[in-house]
Amino acid sequence: MAETFDLSGFVCPLSKIKATQVLNNLAEGKTATIILGDSDSFKSVAQELKARGIKPSLKQDGGKYLLTVNK
Amino acid sequence: MENRKQKADHQRRVYSDITQLIANPENPTPLVRLNRLNTAKNFQIYLKLERYNPFGSVKDRIAYAMLKALDTKGKTLVEPSSGNTGIALAAVANAMGIPVEIAVPERIPEEKKVILKFLGATLMEADDSLCPLFPTEGARGLVNALIKSPATKDTYVSPNQYENELNVEAHYRGTGPEIWQQTAGKVDYFFAGFGTCGTITGVGRYLKEQNPKIKIIGVEPASPNHKLPGMKRITGLAEEYIPKILDRSVIDDTVAVADADAYQAAINLARKDGIMVGPTTGAILHVALEFARKNRGLGVVISPDDAFKYTSFYQEILNAGTLKEGEGI
Repeated sequence: MAETFDLSGFVCPLSKIKATQVLNNLAEGKTATIILGDSDSFKSVAQELKARGIKPSLKQDGGKYLLTVNK
Repeated sequence: MENRKQKADHQRRVYSDITQLIANPENPTPLVRLNRLNTAKNFQIYLKLERYNPFGSVKDRIAYAMLKALDTKGKTLVEPSSGNTGIALAAVANAMGIPVEIAVPERIPEEKKVILKFLGATLMEADDSLCPLFPTEGARGLVNALIKSPATKDTYVSPNQYENELNVEAHYRGTGPEIWQQTAGKVDYFFAGFGTCGTITGVGRYLKEQNPKIKIIGVEPASPNHKLPGMKRITGLAEEYIPKILDRSVIDDTVAVADADAYQAAINLARKDGIMVGPTTGAILHVALEFARKNRGLGVVISPDDAFKYTSFYQEILNAGTLKEGEGI
């Protein structure tokens, strides 16, 4: 079961800082869903994931971005 | 002595709280002439020593002006700062009982971080590249996010020195009139750096109103990646990143200075005239000395702060042995 981290209340770069903390704390082999509330936050976090070699699955729900990541 | 707040007594130097020591035309910061470093016969240079404000820099003036006008009830004060504004805000906020968080860029001297912690401010260190919305100013981006995020916006309040007209006003009502009075209206040139642009806009506007012939010279770092905390390179900067309070109509000339020339000028000043200033003063002074060689008149150089907050930076330069010993500039 993936743990969910709702970061939609934070705009960039706070959202990126919080998402980075989630990724750093995520144990190997675990899955997490990160919810972002705006496109700048999505671009910024997607860039961070790319830099770490993590390919997320993306769902859009209204104006929100749901990124599910496996570490 | 009574406990209630009384009018400052500058004659006897008695004050009912520390903020009364912040400079104003009745209690100006000193204006000191350079007698040995400046060898030009027809051009006098005076330094406006802002270190004599109670918290040690030119930013004391704006911190007090901005905080007085801000509704901080139940909120935490947050501001991006390369140090001096943060120190001034933290000190004034402490005197008013307001909690403070300061976002600082990576490249500020340790001394400033220690003073901020000493004052009890929470420090947030931000990479310059942290935020794509503020590509070279992560600290500004971080504070912008705290103020705009739905999850935090009700918790924080920021004076926003880059957009706050009180930043200009403090210099228009204080620093500018002080310089005009102290030089008996004889100032021909005013030299200041670009940072938040409050000083150059406020002083420049006031002096131009007194005498439109006064030349206002802006100084910027030669490279965007510089070691002159508090200064900003305006040339080539996209419009959205230029401080909104900058009034270009008061600027007559913009001159760029390399870090090495700025540090050299600051060290030469200490060794020739015994005045110890920060590297930003060195940058501005370097430009004033070049003007002094080619022009006539009286120039005032703003000196934002002193050398003591930059001893680690100066140590690098002194240890590197790259100084031009005994040379002028």
